[in-house]
Amino acid sequence: MTIKKYNTFRMIIVIALAIIFSQSIIYQNYFLAIGILIISSLLVFTLRKSVKEIMADERDYEQGGKAAMLAMQIYCYAGVIAMFIFKSQASLNPSYDIIATTLAFSICIFMLLYSFIYQVKSKGKFWDKWVIYTFLVLLFFLVLGILGILKI
Amino acid sequence: MKNRIKELRTKLNITQDELAKSVEARRETIVFLEQGKYNPSLNLAHKVAKKLKVKIDDLFIFEE
Repeated sequence: MTIKKYNTFRMIIVIALAIIFSQSIIYQNYFLAIGILIISSLLVFTLRKSVKEIMADERDYEQGGKAAMLAMQIYCYAGVIAMFIFKSQASLNPSYDIIATTLAFSICIFMLLYSFIYQVKSKGKFWDKWVIYTFLVLLFFLVLGILGILKI
Repeated sequence: MKNRIKELRTKLNITQDELAKSVEARRETIVFLEQGKYNPSLNLAHKVAKKLKVKIDDLFIFEE
């Protein structure tokens, strides 16, 4: 299969997935939503395997890394701003406090997860002092986040 | 970083697509390489130099 054909099929699958997924959520049929998500993922994975051409090379990975880094920064800055807005408006609606806390912890965990994956990739192994420290801090924040949200 | 990829590729009558396939890269990467907009890894530079039958030093013009 050529990359062009693969992209066309992938686009069709994504559109079909979006339609079925949204409808199944509206009709509260969550099993269908999960099922269609798994089936489409497997389908895309199988299609990708059948592509014989080179789909990505070192330049794509480099650009992908830069794009991921930028996306993470934008998400974090936007999230922090949104968190402060929600926190300041918590007196108007108590649910804003939950949103603010969830946002704050999700940003922390997201950044820690990035640091952890970066450390693993950078060191090339899991059993490294700094990798384990980052992993423990990540776990700590995960527990803290869950407890913080449950407390509210 | 400037290079002689386009010049040598044309001389050997190789298309961008053929070069890309032989060095296991995408054609777009070759385009960017030729335009000097992308600095390749040593591995890719070696593959391109080998395909164009020159040494890496003769292919890329390093500027101090």
